[in-house]
Amino acid sequence: MGLSEHIVMRELDVPAINDFEVYRRHGGWEAYRMALKEKNPADIVAMVKESGLRGRGGAGFPTGIKWGFLPKGVYPRYLLCNCDESEPGTFNNHQIIDRNPHQLIEGVALSAFAIECHTAYIYMRGEFAAAAITLERAIAAAYRAGFLGKNILGTGFDLDIYVHRGAGAYICGEETALMESLEGKIGQPRLKPPFPAVAGLYGKPTIINNVETLANVPRIVEKGVAWYRSHGTEKSPGTKCFSLSGHVNRPGNYELPFGVPLRELIESPEYGGGMRGGREDHHPRRGLGPLADPRAPRCAPRLRERRRRRFDARLRGGDRPRRYGEGAPRGLQDGRVLQARVLWKMHSLPRGHPLAGQGAASHRRRGPRRARGYPDFA
Amino acid sequence: MLLETHRADIETILSRYDSRRSAVLPLLYLAQDTYGHLTDAAIREVAAILDLPPTDVFEVVGFYTLFYNRPVGTWVLQVCDDVPCCYLGAEELITALKQSLGIAEEQTTGDGMFTVQRVKCLAACDRAPVLQANLDYVYDVTPERVNTLLDNLRARAAEARQRGVSGRFAEDFEWGPDGALAPIDRAAPYRPRQFPAAPPPAPPPPEPVPEADAGHDRPADRKASPL
Repeated sequence: MGLSEHIVMRELDVPAINDFEVYRRHGGWEAYRMALKEKNPADIVAMVKESGLRGRGGAGFPTGIKWGFLPKGVYPRYLLCNCDESEPGTFNNHQIIDRNPHQLIEGVALSAFAIECHTAYIYMRGEFAAAAITLERAIAAAYRAGFLGKNILGTGFDLDIYVHRGAGAYICGEETALMESLEGKIGQPRLKPPFPAVAGLYGKPTIINNVETLANVPRIVEKGVAWYRSHGTEKSPGTKCFSLSGHVNRPGNYELPFGVPLRELIESPEYGGGMRGGREDHHPRRGLGPLADPRAPRCAPRLRERRRRRFDARLRGGDRPRRYGEGAPRGLQDGRVLQARVLWKMHSLPRGHPLAGQGAASHRRRGPRRARGYPDFA
Repeated sequence: MLLETHRADIETILSRYDSRRSAVLPLLYLAQDTYGHLTDAAIREVAAILDLPPTDVFEVVGFYTLFYNRPVGTWVLQVCDDVPCCYLGAEELITALKQSLGIAEEQTTGDGMFTVQRVKCLAACDRAPVLQANLDYVYDVTPERVNTLLDNLRARAAEARQRGVSGRFAEDFEWGPDGALAPIDRAAPYRPRQFPAAPPPAPPPPEPVPEADAGHDRPADRKASPL
């Protein structure tokens, strides 16, 4: 079940799409130009709402509805793009910025137009240093072409997009911690409510979306809601970039419509290519990708099947937003799949780190409460 | 001093934000690259530029892991030891690095060239094991490649001193077919990594347990779980 055309990972279809001119020739910035000239912001919000686009950062909240939470008539507003990709096992945002940066910038620009904001920040984790340079060059190209700046295309719309680099803090991927960090403070999450849409960056209404979410927006506006909804499932339209790592034959990012069974993603020679060593013991973890040791000892088939069904259900876009890494240590202990040293690592994670899980096993953790590099959540 | 040498940079940075305080991270990066690491004087200088109490800036420096308030090597090697990398040999890589350099983690070599640190996921798990040298990614660093890598970095030491450790001029690297390091080609279409197909001779899998629940023995008189 492949894709005839990629929505976000377009470098697979179009060579050198990281070049501004190539992106332009393949319809890039046309959606933005059309939106500015012919539509008003409410039209774009309505389109995104109808498209059913859901946040790709993990919680899966419908993007259009989130935009609708902005209080009317309160300005300035801010748009933040969350590129603090630090969850172990995820690496698709990194790739989108490396290989298809213009689409992200167009997505940020379009979304900024839709929510009527004039300053957008792309918050990248500090480690994405070279990617930040790539993105800044791409933004500079957009300024030169007149798609950003003052009075864009003569429509009177002003927009500035800035790249802001964090400096090494996992927690800054949390949206309110990210705002604190952008305000120049230490990245401690705020209490909610008030939600960012009401009082976010500098206390002003703020929308914050993930890289992959925003990179979807130009394609929705360009090709229309019906085209977008023809991918994926009823409740989760579109595609998702799945990050496969660990003991699979072909680790990498794969963009697939929602609804593809996880087993196919791992086993298909087109995608994961199966487990190294030919074992069938999958212990896929959302957020951590499939973690499975081919040398693993036995695991009861029924339990395995049950887990597989549960994860398939989530991949199909079930309604319940779940925590990343939920219950991971328990599954790992029961199935005894991990090498001892990896298991030790899980044990040494701080309480509150997503990998430490919220499940029944987390209280059985032994070892130190804190791991170096993470702030104390307790 | 920063204000004299980098006034244009500082003004560009300040113009991006509606609050001066937001510029603290970019300015600390600038100070770190200018002075080698964040000395007390450098931190106070940044605080003065932003009209902030120095404690606030000290707090920020202490919170974020990419700021160094102590001397570090010309190259700071940050090796990912999170789970996906660990599977593909991150521990072996760290051991090989420590042996080649003769130092422990968080230490700097005697010639001031290398500092080795462990870090958590660097978001490049498909190219594991991964490390960053002054925030330049180096993908797929197997232990056998450690010496080639270190030689390459030593040869580029002058460049590293000029650029600083903050990654403001970073570049990512991968291994070319000739076994040398080359900057990655971002124009090339993304290709998933392909491990060599030849599987090791698989040992016969142990007999699967027909019962549910992961091999836990259950007394014969207890009913199976309704789940």
